[in-house]
Amino acid sequence: MLNLGLDVVTTAAILFIVSAGLLMIFGVMKIINFSHGAFLTLGGYSSVIVGHAGLNWWWSVPFALLTGFVLGIGVERFIVRPLYARPLDAILATWGLGIIVGQIITLVFGREVQMVVSPVDGAIAVFGGHYSVYRLILVGVAVLVALALGGLLNGTRLGLQTRAVIMNESLARALGISSARVRFMTFCTGAALASAAGALITPLSSVDPNMGVPWIVGAFMLVLVSGSSLLSLALASLVLGGAQVLVSTFVNPVLGGLTIAVLAALLLRLRPEGFARG
Amino acid sequence: MMKKFSSSRYTRSVLAAALGAYLLAASCAALAADPVKIGVPVGLSGANSVVAPSVVQAAQLAVDEINAKGGILGRQVSLEVADDGSGAAGAQKAFDSLIFDKKVNALISMETSAARNAGLPIVTRGKVPYIYTSFYEGRSCNRYMYVDAWVPDQQVAPIVDYFMKQDHAKTFFLVGSDYAFGRGMLDFTKSYIEKKGGKVVGNEYLPMDGSDWTSIISKLQGAKPDAIITSTAGGAPNVTLTKQLRAAGVTIPYGNLAVDEGTAKSMGADAAGIYISGSYVTNIDSPANHAFLAAMQKRFGSDLKTPNDLSVPEYEAIYLYKAAVEKAGSFDTAKVTPALAQVSFNGPRGDIKMDKQHHTPLTMYLGQVQTDGSVKVIQSFASVDPGAQCPGLK
Repeated sequence: MLNLGLDVVTTAAILFIVSAGLLMIFGVMKIINFSHGAFLTLGGYSSVIVGHAGLNWWWSVPFALLTGFVLGIGVERFIVRPLYARPLDAILATWGLGIIVGQIITLVFGREVQMVVSPVDGAIAVFGGHYSVYRLILVGVAVLVALALGGLLNGTRLGLQTRAVIMNESLARALGISSARVRFMTFCTGAALASAAGALITPLSSVDPNMGVPWIVGAFMLVLVSGSSLLSLALASLVLGGAQVLVSTFVNPVLGGLTIAVLAALLLRLRPEGFARG
Repeated sequence: MMKKFSSSRYTRSVLAAALGAYLLAASCAALAADPVKIGVPVGLSGANSVVAPSVVQAAQLAVDEINAKGGILGRQVSLEVADDGSGAAGAQKAFDSLIFDKKVNALISMETSAARNAGLPIVTRGKVPYIYTSFYEGRSCNRYMYVDAWVPDQQVAPIVDYFMKQDHAKTFFLVGSDYAFGRGMLDFTKSYIEKKGGKVVGNEYLPMDGSDWTSIISKLQGAKPDAIITSTAGGAPNVTLTKQLRAAGVTIPYGNLAVDEGTAKSMGADAAGIYISGSYVTNIDSPANHAFLAAMQKRFGSDLKTPNDLSVPEYEAIYLYKAAVEKAGSFDTAKVTPALAQVSFNGPRGDIKMDKQHHTPLTMYLGQVQTDGSVKVIQSFASVDPGAQCPGLK
């Protein structure tokens, strides 16, 4: 019972970390960044580079943030911004970018699975049972991410401008807010977050050129039911992630993989705003 | 009145004769230089993309060696490699293009069960001999297909017997990928365990591309088995499962029916302690294996991909095809196909002869992965019979 509860909470935490970057970009720019998977993969390979350099694994996270941010700059400037008035084409362009980044990584690193040493190993005794230390750490990381993003959005001038652009872009521009700058910063931050998420999941997954692909659909569904609110994303991660764990445990894991997509579709049918406030 | 001999008619007939002579000469020249084409549909992309390069290298070495000694029946051998995407859709394209476009003389390759099952109807239609060089779940039968790799009847027993004897294991938990190979291997494992008096306390599957084993691992910890046996798709699923098992602190004896030395090395410390069973390990101490490894090293140098249980059968299969053609005295499918059951080849894995219902007895090795990623051989079993795989075929 305890194991199940911890499974739900840690799965929700992982889903939240992976989807946060996608949410930011969707909330502000109203486009789904389909190269999200490629940024996750980029973060995973950042861990590999850090490992090859002989540094402690924990350096992967800031390094991944950096590589994601830098790649985000180029992508926003040359791919997303020219397609600002054509959001559907921008979505298609990000999908193409995802494929290109995946192939570049294959050319540079090869197709094989790369080795990344886990920072912590094994399980810890918790309330009478045993549970994976790393998964528990990720819960803490998810909380940190939420607090950091919340702090950025609510406590800084840029955050205030971002919230204005989320609410009503034309009106914000009329008030003198540079929506181009907000979009730029948002995309880079979202990309950096996606890359960091990719680095954070390497101790639990294999680092190969396609590692980001399984996460795209789940993250996409979670973001669609969350609108643009971090709180809704947290709630959606808990509810939908929890449902995935329950179905995987009590029915079978093959159907569990479908749960998030099916529930998201049902939820949107019943309540189009999803978990966001109406 | 004498008919005037028309000059244009004369020109036409000269041209026609010249054209005919040219075509005859050209086709003679073509026939003499016509290479034997061996088609290799393999997973250059997709799940098998990690192991495909080693398979192609093994094929290339075999072809180079055979060509250096004069080819097959005087004709040089050329390889046609096609990507089957490690799946059914890609396999249909690859097999179609190799058999009907490139008109290969034979197909010799390793692929996923999904790809093989999709390709077999095309092989039957195209009437081409096909040597399947990958270990698989067994019982796939086609009059044109021969298998020179192991089936569960040869691979599972060493691991289960060892766990039951050495570790006194009575309860087992089985985990696999949800496709023909994963299910086939574990179905066989389950009935073998029960036949030997053990009990299977859990049997769970995840889709081939799934990477989240969380709920399965929780179930495993709840069931408290004595040992775990897994049969996932190669590459990523092996790595994610092992990493997540170790992260959850699972340390019971762990038998992996589907991991190779290369993948085990890339898992680092997480792979230490895993038991594997197969027909090839790089430290087999035989003259044939030493010669093979030296030749591979010389041919590929620093680009060499470690020879493994999926690539060495490919090397041996090409030699088996050569032997069959030489015995039949022709490349004609109707003559070569029965000959494949009659010839044998002594390769890195020992003597291979596909005379047991299109499958071959093999020497199997039980090994354990060490902390440095190498595999230590614990026991070997000579000439293990594949059992009755295709009673319908002779």
